[in-house]
Amino acid sequence: MAEFLVHTLSLPAPLAYLLAALIHCGFILGLVAAGAVVFIWAERKVSGRIQDRLGPTRTGGKFGWLQSPADGIKVLAKEDLIPRAADRLLFRAAPYVSFSSSFTAYLALPFADGWVAFDTNVAVFFILAVLGLEVFGVILAGYASGSKWSLFGAMREAAQVVSYEVPLGICVVIPVLLTGTMNLTTIANMQAGWCSNWLIFHDPFTFAVFWIYATCALASVNRAPFDLAEAESELVAGFMTEYSGMRWSLFFMAEYSSMLLVSCLAVILFFGGWHGPIPVFDWLGWAYPGGASSWQLTGFLANLAGCVNFITKAVIGVTVMLWIRWTLPRLRIDQVMTMCLKYCVPLAAICFIGALWWQVAGWWSPNHWLPLRPDGPGGMRETWVVAPEAACGEVARRLPWADSAPPHGAARRTLPGCGLAGPPAGWRTGSPAAARGGVQ
Amino acid sequence: MSIINDPRVVEFNIRTDEMLINMGPQHPSTHGVLRLVLRTDGEVVLGAAPHIGYLHRCAEKIGENLAPRQWVPYTDRMDYLASMNMNLGWALVVEKLLQLEVPEKGRHLRVLVAELNRIASHLVAMGTYGLDLGSFTPFLYAFREREKILDLFEQVCGARLTYSYIVPGGVTGDLPQGWLQNCAQFLQELEPVVDDYHALLTSNAIFIKRTAGVGVLPGEMAVNYGCTGPVLRGSGIDQDLRRDGEPWYTSLYDGYQFAVIVQKEGHYPQDHDYPAVPAEAVLGDCWHRFYVRMLEVVQSMDIVRQALDKYAAAAGDCGTPIKLNHKLPPGEAYLETEAPKGQMGFYLVTDGSAIPWRVRARSSCFANVSVTSELCRGCLLADVPAIVGSLDIVLGEIDR
Amino acid sequence: MTIWAATDWYAFFFLLFALLACGFAAAVLFTSNIVRMAFYLTLSLGATAGLFFLAGAEFVGVMQLMIYVGGTLVLLVFGVMLTARAPFLSLRPRSGEWIVSLIAGGTLLFLLIASAFGVRNWRTASDSGPLPLAEAQTATAVGAGLTGVRVDRLNRDAAGHALSQLPHTDSGYLLPFVIVSVHLLVVLVGAAYLARAKVRRRSATESTASVEG
Repeated sequence: MAEFLVHTLSLPAPLAYLLAALIHCGFILGLVAAGAVVFIWAERKVSGRIQDRLGPTRTGGKFGWLQSPADGIKVLAKEDLIPRAADRLLFRAAPYVSFSSSFTAYLALPFADGWVAFDTNVAVFFILAVLGLEVFGVILAGYASGSKWSLFGAMREAAQVVSYEVPLGICVVIPVLLTGTMNLTTIANMQAGWCSNWLIFHDPFTFAVFWIYATCALASVNRAPFDLAEAESELVAGFMTEYSGMRWSLFFMAEYSSMLLVSCLAVILFFGGWHGPIPVFDWLGWAYPGGASSWQLTGFLANLAGCVNFITKAVIGVTVMLWIRWTLPRLRIDQVMTMCLKYCVPLAAICFIGALWWQVAGWWSPNHWLPLRPDGPGGMRETWVVAPEAACGEVARRLPWADSAPPHGAARRTLPGCGLAGPPAGWRTGSPAAARGGVQ
Repeated sequence: MSIINDPRVVEFNIRTDEMLINMGPQHPSTHGVLRLVLRTDGEVVLGAAPHIGYLHRCAEKIGENLAPRQWVPYTDRMDYLASMNMNLGWALVVEKLLQLEVPEKGRHLRVLVAELNRIASHLVAMGTYGLDLGSFTPFLYAFREREKILDLFEQVCGARLTYSYIVPGGVTGDLPQGWLQNCAQFLQELEPVVDDYHALLTSNAIFIKRTAGVGVLPGEMAVNYGCTGPVLRGSGIDQDLRRDGEPWYTSLYDGYQFAVIVQKEGHYPQDHDYPAVPAEAVLGDCWHRFYVRMLEVVQSMDIVRQALDKYAAAAGDCGTPIKLNHKLPPGEAYLETEAPKGQMGFYLVTDGSAIPWRVRARSSCFANVSVTSELCRGCLLADVPAIVGSLDIVLGEIDR
Repeated sequence: MTIWAATDWYAFFFLLFALLACGFAAAVLFTSNIVRMAFYLTLSLGATAGLFFLAGAEFVGVMQLMIYVGGTLVLLVFGVMLTARAPFLSLRPRSGEWIVSLIAGGTLLFLLIASAFGVRNWRTASDSGPLPLAEAQTATAVGAGLTGVRVDRLNRDAAGHALSQLPHTDSGYLLPFVIVSVHLLVVLVGAAYLARAKVRRRSATESTASVEG
């Protein structure tokens, strides 16, 4: 997007980058806020229907769709209470820590081909790391509230979230293993084509891993049956007990945005991201071919449809989370930890080895049906299992200095201690756009 | 030993690594205004002490100034979820003192509404227990069925919760037209829904994990503490006043076929298709107490069906309530009845006037709640609502 | 609009993150509330991760976030939060401690600055500045190195181009990787052992006897 701003609006590059960043953040914030509004309404409607009642039916007509804004207005108008025993600075900072970590993780999440705020090759790792920071907000909130109940709730939640990061990480690594990259855009593009290309159908172990991922994702966003941190019937509201008004709603929004985030991550890793069950846009020829640099209306529409597809799938995932919450009772903390350490971790590890073995042995998988892309999961193993030397050579060629000729002058700089030749002469140029080449 | 050194008092002599936590009296999961003081070491509860009295309304003292007929509403408000059974206990003890027999039709009517109210009370127990454990949906399903019972009762006596329907001498009014058909239809609607409850709670793996093996009450301890009702039967002691009580009370149930729900020789009664007992459940734990209540709902449905037929077949009237200035002969009478939550006893001492000299209500939940401190010792904090919920207490009855 | 072109944006962002990191580190030193110290340390390490991202080392930056902020600091905050009772809540070092720590910290700072400026290759003007990234960095080189393949030491042909041929004399970082993994395993097992539930003996007056059922 920054190049678009530079070329079409002739803005200076730094301003363009700043504007692009702000626009990206604006989109994500809009998505998070709209998501929270919609999910709060959906939660009340879904829970109502499951409980044989209707849910909100008066605010905004028959479906009560204005209920969420009404709740928002009510929450904004509440008195801002800070308990006397609370640590004021930390009490105020805690909701922002939680919300900002949840929001930051969206920066690396692609919504369509190339539609990502921070296109990084370590996107999966980035999202996992930032999701793990949300627990900070909870711990701070629990401690800073100055109440024993809040402290209890925060301790339980921190233990739960931190423990479930381990099986979550193992589950997430398996698609990374199968595709050979941590770049989410690449992982999703490899699953283009028919739904048989989706990674969930790669082998039985990956299929099982998806269900383990679903369990761990539920636990790491503190949804029932793992919601003892907010257990109303036991600790009033756990670490959120002393929060009211806007601060409480920030925690709530952080929770809903985390739910949407893990759902989006599952869709990209296992369900093909924005590529639909049926490759309509490939038939129409509208999708951007790999590496295209100019903007086309058809490509834009294909991306837009992909984005809608992606969000639809993620919303289905969130709806399933809502459904589970209103059906099952709550697990106790020691049962949660037992489930993590005795069941999820060993199962995830076994599935890891199984998926690895399936890939190495080259056994048949549904991904081999109708691969529209030769670099899809069906054909991926060639590049890193069969020909590691070729892969390593490829990587070596792409290092900025590894492929250059031996030094032709004493002025060449070498990075101390690693014996590599330095960068080619003449590398220092002006604008970052030119230096970066074509990377967004 | 002074109170400070008494180990049963949890508030004193706290070590620095222990925490004193106060659950209640305002708390989402204590059933009523109960204050539980917990002494915990991290997540483990070392001692629990229930503090009651927040709902004391001097009912017994007031009973010394009112005629028995006037005191009936005070019994409503004791176990307000099972008002009919409270009314029944009081009416029977007054009639026992007066040696006043209610006609047959009135007796069948009393059994009918009392058992219907037992179903309603157990539905609330089941729903709120699920709510305590985090399962929100069975609560609403239970209340949906209970609404139908409350509608039936509203047609009978005009009230939804505190009926004052069964009074000494008879009932305040006969059943309206078409009520028997409505009741029969309700029973038909309730029958398949009970299977839903079993699927959502009784056989649910997470529910079993939360309740099996938790709060095990050995039979002998239950007897020592005076626990009655499903709490006692859940520990394997075979006692039900509808079968074993005084003749003045058991004659009400003459001719009715029902099974007492208790585990005998390793299994429960097999007259219906009940869900199986899981392997993790230990006799006397929360799961068994819950299971006894669920099965009693089915048994009460059987009794109500029989009562509908017997009422329709009986002739005569339903009895005439005694007058307010009816002189009570001097003497005393005590009668315990099988209320949904346990054995509820009323004690009446009279001195010859129309106003009793002393009225006493023996609360079933009072004894049941006293066992909390034993059961909660050594459990985890999250088990405390599970244990207290399984005892199914109503503070109105405990505090009177 | 010339301000956009005239400002050295790399220096600006570098200074921003560096100031955040150092500022919060200073806040750690000067605050007396131990829980707030942990919080400021979190923010300081987060700013350091930002510095890594600025340098294009995304992988290292994310590792900083995950391991330091998300792991070590969570542990630290947990410990602080659970033990922050009244006598320890407010830590004020005495003046003698200030002097000793100033000497120790100052010496270290002097050594670091001296060695940083002592590297001849880092001091020439043409070498200060950002390295352009021809392509987004991948972590493949790191991963390959950890499993024994040093892609920067591949065999080269006569013209100096890297061949797609694995070096046979170099085992990369495989040995340190395995050693660290075994070490971590030992640590985990030891932690589980130390954290096991111990049966506490109670005196007779506090016995938790229940009626023999």
